[in-house]
Amino acid sequence: MSQHDRGGIGRRSTLAAGAALGAAAIAGFPMIARGQARQPIKIGMPTILSGRVAQLGVSSRNAVMMEVERFNAAGGLDGRPIEVIVRDSRGVPAEAARIAREMITSDRVDLIFDAEASAGGFAVHEVVRETGTLTLHLNSETSSLTADPRQRFWNAFRVARQGIHDSIAGGAYAAEIVKARNLTRWMTVSPDYAYGRDTTAEFVEYLKAFAPNVQVIGETWPRLFQPDYTENVTRLTQGRPQAIYSCLWAGDLVTFVEQASLYGLFNQSQFFGVNLADYTTLQQIKALPRGMHSGNRYLKTFPAVPGNLAFAEEYNRRYQTFPTNWAWQSATAVSLLVEALRKVGGTDPRQLAAALKGMTIDSPFGADGKVTMRAEDQTLVGYAIGWGTTISADPFVENMTKADWATILRHEQDWKRSKGWA
Amino acid sequence: MRTALSWRGDVLVAALAFVALAVPAFALGVSSVHDFAVRFAIFGLLAMSLNLLIGTTGLVSFGHAAFFGSGAYAFGLLMQSGGWSVPAAILAAMAFTAVLALAIGTLCVRLSEIYFAFLTLAFQMLIHSLVISWVSLTGGDQGLMGGVPKPPFLGIDLGDARHLAMFSAFCLLVSVVALRQIVRSPFGAALRMLRDNPERAAFVGLSIFRYRLAAFVIAGTFAGLAGVLMSLYVSGAFPTFLYWTTSGEAIFMIMLGGITVFLGPLVGTAIFLVLNDRITNITEHHGLVMGSILLVLVLGLRKGLLDFVVDAWRERQEKRT
Repeated sequence: MSQHDRGGIGRRSTLAAGAALGAAAIAGFPMIARGQARQPIKIGMPTILSGRVAQLGVSSRNAVMMEVERFNAAGGLDGRPIEVIVRDSRGVPAEAARIAREMITSDRVDLIFDAEASAGGFAVHEVVRETGTLTLHLNSETSSLTADPRQRFWNAFRVARQGIHDSIAGGAYAAEIVKARNLTRWMTVSPDYAYGRDTTAEFVEYLKAFAPNVQVIGETWPRLFQPDYTENVTRLTQGRPQAIYSCLWAGDLVTFVEQASLYGLFNQSQFFGVNLADYTTLQQIKALPRGMHSGNRYLKTFPAVPGNLAFAEEYNRRYQTFPTNWAWQSATAVSLLVEALRKVGGTDPRQLAAALKGMTIDSPFGADGKVTMRAEDQTLVGYAIGWGTTISADPFVENMTKADWATILRHEQDWKRSKGWA
Repeated sequence: MRTALSWRGDVLVAALAFVALAVPAFALGVSSVHDFAVRFAIFGLLAMSLNLLIGTTGLVSFGHAAFFGSGAYAFGLLMQSGGWSVPAAILAAMAFTAVLALAIGTLCVRLSEIYFAFLTLAFQMLIHSLVISWVSLTGGDQGLMGGVPKPPFLGIDLGDARHLAMFSAFCLLVSVVALRQIVRSPFGAALRMLRDNPERAAFVGLSIFRYRLAAFVIAGTFAGLAGVLMSLYVSGAFPTFLYWTTSGEAIFMIMLGGITVFLGPLVGTAIFLVLNDRITNITEHHGLVMGSILLVLVLGLRKGLLDFVVDAWRERQEKRT
C-alpha cells in the first residue's frame, strides 16, 4: 500500500516540509535589509554571461566596468561611486525579468542597465514599466521597443542602434552599389526568427525604395544556430543572384561565410552582411573573403577619430580582446548617465529621466562626434552608421561610407507613419 | 467522517502555512520574500501538478510545460484583449488548458512508459513551434509583449508585489489542498492501483484510459494555473515557458524533493529555486555548479530529499518499536 493513504505520515510530512521550507527560506535571503546610509549609486545589470551570446554579454559588462571605473576614479558624484551588480540571465527572458525584479526589490538598485538581447529586453521592459525604475536598454535593437507608442513610458530609454536605422542606411548604401554595378537580381539568407524576418523585410523595402529596379528572386531561411548551411548555400548558388543580403550574425555568420566560401559563392555574387563588421565575427572567420559589403557593428577605425581608437585600445589592454557592438553601446550608456548625474546632482529618477530626454553628448561613436537621446521616443540617434568592404587582415574593413542621418530620419518618420506610430 | 476530518486538517495546515507566508511578507515588508513567494508558488504548483502524473499515476510526462505555457499565453492574451476581469481570465485560461489537456491526453494516455513520455514531448514541441511561428498572435520568439494589464478586483491589486505574493501563495495552497484531496480520494487510490498494477485494475473493472485521462487533465489544469501566475509575475509570456527545458526543470524539482511523499515536489522547488538564485548571483558557470550539486544529491541520497528524510525517520521508529 502506498504511503499516501496513511494520514499520519502525510501530516508529518507536511510539518517536515514546513520546516524544510522555513530553513530554505532563511538560507535563501542573506541579503535582507541592508543599510541605507551614504551609499554608492547602484546599477543593476542583467545580461547574458553564459551560452552562445555570452561573448556579447561579457563585452557589455566589460565596457560598463571600464567606464564606471573611470568615473569612480575621478571622484564619482560628489564622492558617491557607481556600483554595478551584474547577473547572468542565461538569455532566458523569465530569468531576466526575475533578476531585474530582484535587483530592484532586494538589492535596491537606483537604476537598471538592461544588457539583454531583444526577448530578455522586453521582459525587463515590462518589469520596470511596473516598478518605475529608471532603465537604460543597452542592447535591444528591435525597433518597436521605442518606436511603438504603446511600449513607451517615462523611465525607459534605449542606448542602442535600432533595426530600422540600419535597414534604411543599408538600403541606401546597397542602392548606390546597385546603380554603379547594375545588380538587379537579389537573394536573401537570414535566420528564421522574428529578428531575421523583420530586418530582411525592412532592408528589402528600403533597397527597393532607393533602387526600384531591384528584384528579389529567392530567399532561404536557415534556423537559428544551424550547424550546416550546405542546403542554403546550394540554393543560393543555384539561384545565381548578382547580390545576396544576410542578417545572420555572430557564430552563425562565421559558419555560413566559411561554408559558402568553399562553394565560391562570394566570387559569383556580391554579399551584403549587415552584421559582419564586428570583431567577434571578423576575427573568427579563417579566411575572410575580400570585398564583402558590411555594415559597422563596431570598428575601431570607424568613426576614424582618436577617441574611438583610444577606447578600443584601452579595452584591448584590459581584456585582451576588441570591443563589440554591445561594448560601444554600453560605454555610451555610462557616458549619458554620468552626464545626467552631474546635471541633476543626485539620483532622483524623475529628474534623471528629464535630464536624459533630449540630451546630446560628445561621443567618439557619433556620426559627427555627438550622439543624442531623442526626446520624442527616448532612443539613441546620431550614432555612426557606415558600410564598407572587407579585407582579410586588420582593420578588416576599408572604404567606409558614412550613412546620412537626414535620410535615415526622413524615412524613419515615414515608416512610423505607415505603422500608425507617428 | 474521516474524510471530513482530513479535509479540515488540510485546510488548517494550509491556513497556517498561509499565515507563515503572510507574516514575513506584510509585517516585515521584505521585498525579496515577495518575489520568492511568487516564484515558489509558480514552480511549486507546476511540480505538484506534474507529480500527480509521475508519483501518483506513474506516467512520466516530458511535456508538462505545454500546459504551463498555454496557461500563460491564454491568460496574457485574454487580459490584453481587454474586457476580462482577472478572475474570469484565470478561469478561462484554466478551462483552455483543461480542454487542451483533454485533447492531448486522449492521444497520449493510451501509451505508457517511454512512449507516453515521448509523445507528450512531441506535443509540447508542436505547441512550442506553433507559438514561435504564429507571430501575429503570440509575438513569436520575442514573446507576448506590451504588458499584461492587471485591473484590481475585490480590493486585490496584482500590480502590487505584496498582493501578488499573497495571491500566488493563496492559489498554491488552495491547489495543494485540492490535489491532496484528489490523491487521498477513492479516485486517487484507483490511480495508484493503475500505477502499481494496471492489469489488476483493468481486471476489477477500472477503465485505465478514463482514469489516466482524468489525471492528465487535472494535472494540466493546475499547470495552467501555474502558467497564469507566471504570466502575472513577468507581465508577459515567452516561448521558453513551453520549451522542454521547463518540463525538465519541473522533473528536476520533483526528483530533488521526492516523488512518494505528497509535499516532496514543494521541498524540491524550494531547494531548486534557492540554489538557482544563489548560484546565478555568484557565478557565470551556473550549469557546472548546479549540475555538481545535483550529482552529489542524486548519487548521495539516491532519492528525493523528503523521501530520504521520511524513510530514515520511519526506519528509526521501527527500530524503536
